[in-house]
Amino acid sequence: MAILDILILSILVLCALAAVRTRDLLGAVIIYAAYSLLMAIIWLQLGAPDVAITEAALGAGVTTILMIATISKTGRYE
Amino acid sequence: MAEALVALGQNYFFYYALILFMVGFYTTLSHSNLLKKIIGINIMETSIFLFFVALGYVEGGQAPILGRGAEGGPFMNPLPSALILTGIVVAVSITAFALALMVKLYSFYGTLDADEIVMLRGEKE
Amino acid sequence: MQEILILKIVVRFVIPFIQVYGFYVITAGHLSPGGGFAGGTIVAASMVLYALTFDAHQGLEKLSHERASIFESLGAIWYVGLGFLGVLVGGNFLTNGQIGIPLGTPGQLISGGLIPLLSFGIGIKVAVTVVSLYYSLVEED
Repeated sequence: MAILDILILSILVLCALAAVRTRDLLGAVIIYAAYSLLMAIIWLQLGAPDVAITEAALGAGVTTILMIATISKTGRYE
Repeated sequence: MAEALVALGQNYFFYYALILFMVGFYTTLSHSNLLKKIIGINIMETSIFLFFVALGYVEGGQAPILGRGAEGGPFMNPLPSALILTGIVVAVSITAFALALMVKLYSFYGTLDADEIVMLRGEKE
Repeated sequence: MQEILILKIVVRFVIPFIQVYGFYVITAGHLSPGGGFAGGTIVAASMVLYALTFDAHQGLEKLSHERASIFESLGAIWYVGLGFLGVLVGGNFLTNGQIGIPLGTPGQLISGGLIPLLSFGIGIKVAVTVVSLYYSLVEED
């Protein structure tokens, strides 16, 4: 289990760095959605399934939708 | 000495929470785009949540749900996850409010760059 | 905006399944992880998916702001009214078992007294709030 945890956590850090470095804002938001989904798997590994289902619905769903709505109202590139 | 090193190695969740907090903090400070700042704040929030839920982790424990799985075994501590559930809701509310403010700022100044907004405000005064 | 046929057909096929899953998470909230908040968000995500794929105006016709405010108020009144049920009999706010509401056996779907009814109200309120949040963000003024 520890190997899987460390693997997912490392991909999590890579996702965070990629979301930070991307110049395309839409791409950054999509990478942030992937980050939230990986975080939901981490919550499941930590034995908090209620937090996992809320993170998958809110972090990966609602936050991404609201950010994409904001990008459609403003500009796509920095 | 060796036991202390093994004990330090078992706490890897805390190290990753620290790394993620640093990444989010760096994003919030160094990028001038407002949407990038909001993504950085969100990454910081999730790192804090990771730290809290990892505090309630019990080695070999199960999720504390009544009627599912083995009864009476070691369970994870449900108190940090109950606290963090509220924290996630607050985080999403803050994000929605900040995005609404961003749309208003864009319609007023025509840009989302924090430095340019500061310059435009300086010209107006 | 160009017309994407595959997207529209797949979304039309997928939306009922998302909504059934959302209502499952709401109704089984007292037995398994989930509950009113997570289920309501899933239901809201299906409605926002409809508005994203088709037109925002088309979605706004299905759930206008007046109707949304009515549903929101109904959810809140439902919760507070069920809470005051205990006060009327003489107990505390949100009293569940002590005032004679049958609790049932733990682990079955109909159990827990007030809790499934409360999470139903929370689900309606959260779903409508998230959808109207999206509409107020994308609306042209």
